[in-house]
Amino acid sequence: MHAPNIRRLVGVLLAGAFASLGQVASAQLPAEPAGAVEQLNQPSPHWVWVNDMAFFAFPDGKAFLVDGDSGRMLGMLSTGFSFTAVVPPRGGGVIYAPETYFSRGTRGTRTDVVTVYDAVQLQPVAEIEIPPKRASLMPTPGAQALTDDDRFLLIYNFTPSQSVTVVDMRARKFVGEIETAGCALVYPTGPRSFFSICGDGALLETTLTDEGTLAGHERTAELIDVLKDPLSEKGVRRGDTWLFASFEGVLHPLRATGAGVEAQPTWPLFTPQELAQHWRTGGLQHLAVHEGSGRLFAIVHQGGPETRKELGQQVWVYDLSSHRRVQIIKTRNKVGSIQVSQDSQPLLFACSLESNRLDIYDATSGKYLRTVEPLGLTPTVLVLP
Amino acid sequence: MTPRVPDIGSPIDALVERMARDLARRVSRRSFLGNVGALLFSTGVPLLPVARGASPTPARPDAAADSGDPQTCEYWRHCAIDGFLCACCGGSTHSCPPGTEASAVTWVGTCHNPADGHDYIVSYNDCCGKSQCGRCLCNRNEGDKPLYMPFKSNDYNWCAGSKVGIAYHCSTARLVGVAK
Repeated sequence: MHAPNIRRLVGVLLAGAFASLGQVASAQLPAEPAGAVEQLNQPSPHWVWVNDMAFFAFPDGKAFLVDGDSGRMLGMLSTGFSFTAVVPPRGGGVIYAPETYFSRGTRGTRTDVVTVYDAVQLQPVAEIEIPPKRASLMPTPGAQALTDDDRFLLIYNFTPSQSVTVVDMRARKFVGEIETAGCALVYPTGPRSFFSICGDGALLETTLTDEGTLAGHERTAELIDVLKDPLSEKGVRRGDTWLFASFEGVLHPLRATGAGVEAQPTWPLFTPQELAQHWRTGGLQHLAVHEGSGRLFAIVHQGGPETRKELGQQVWVYDLSSHRRVQIIKTRNKVGSIQVSQDSQPLLFACSLESNRLDIYDATSGKYLRTVEPLGLTPTVLVLP
Repeated sequence: MTPRVPDIGSPIDALVERMARDLARRVSRRSFLGNVGALLFSTGVPLLPVARGASPTPARPDAAADSGDPQTCEYWRHCAIDGFLCACCGGSTHSCPPGTEASAVTWVGTCHNPADGHDYIVSYNDCCGKSQCGRCLCNRNEGDKPLYMPFKSNDYNWCAGSKVGIAYHCSTARLVGVAK
């Protein structure tokens, strides 16, 4: 055969083959339904909410839901002006978000609401209007919390008068406002009680009635030396005890008892040698606790006495029973916020305001697993579903 | 409905402001916190916001005594600032950009002026009513305290005390007086 004939034959055969492939391929891709919208499954213990205050665009707060196992973003809530964080109730099914809106974006009438989102469809299903006083601040977990039975949502107000808004989440109704003059934030201690930290280092303990109104106030002695070594307000809770780190690295356990909140013996997070090397805790959400194992995770860095907001590139892990450091996790990137999942094979989530990424580690081994990026603009507080 | 704000034109507020300014000039930050703060907090007296936004602008120091670039984070007055520098946004160290409103209440810092060797009380009034300026972000924390000590905390959005609400635009660093 002549060469031209061979080329012609090959060409014919190839054309036929591609045509067949095309028919097979089109047969394997069925038409897809229009207008499909995903729904979420039951939450995994390895899901996490990454809350974004959108520091460069306040009206556009967001909360991203991420699956730590796959590194997939699962969905998002659009949560308004100067956003702090979502508040998922223990019972599941819904997600609460204290939110603020202006009728003209950045001006006009201010409206504050607690939006109730369906946890499967991520759609708002109810809205409870509250006084337009919700504190606008660098997000911190103490700015809002549910009572232990999920019945009342407590929201810290700053106008700059200080108070707490109480919302009945069962009736989905604003209950009232409780004055907390001189005292800030909300740290629940039971189904009808919480405390706030006062400027002189005392705690203001608030007890609620079954209707959510004020049953009583008790003021403790000055448990914190606010002049010599203040506590960071970014505490974490394990059972009946809140754990706070001081500026100089002393851990203060505050235990809720039937007789009120009591200061337990403090213990140092750093040895004298480590203090001499200027190790300190720092970051927006610099502590996390794993309830089951009793391990405390703390972001640390080396810096001067007023560097408590600096990011760290190590997470030191402590055993809360022995008070000993048991592990050092070196992070890939500088981090300011951490959270740990509460299952038996926990993940450590880490992010910072300064980079729009979420890093995920094995919380037991400290091994880096994966990164989700980009994610929002300025991630702040990490919340478990 | 916007947040309640103090009527800064009232005689009571004028008196409180004058007392606060006199006090701020006479005492150091540490003794102010130690004495007055402890007294107020320990007795459970509600803290009244200190109206600083409408107080008269102090005489501007001459250039030699106020060296440095107000558009940089390193500028000496910015020792406890947290936000976008108004000097980069159409305002200055002590004035807000056009169309914004100065917050009536705020947090204060004490900064050392290397040019004249004095410590100054600096009022970090936020400028409010528009979205973030987005320029010259600066966070320094000399003397900054947690949120439960509001008037020493730069983690609050101090536009909370403005008439236009909490839309935060930028922060000034206004001199109030010499600390010592």
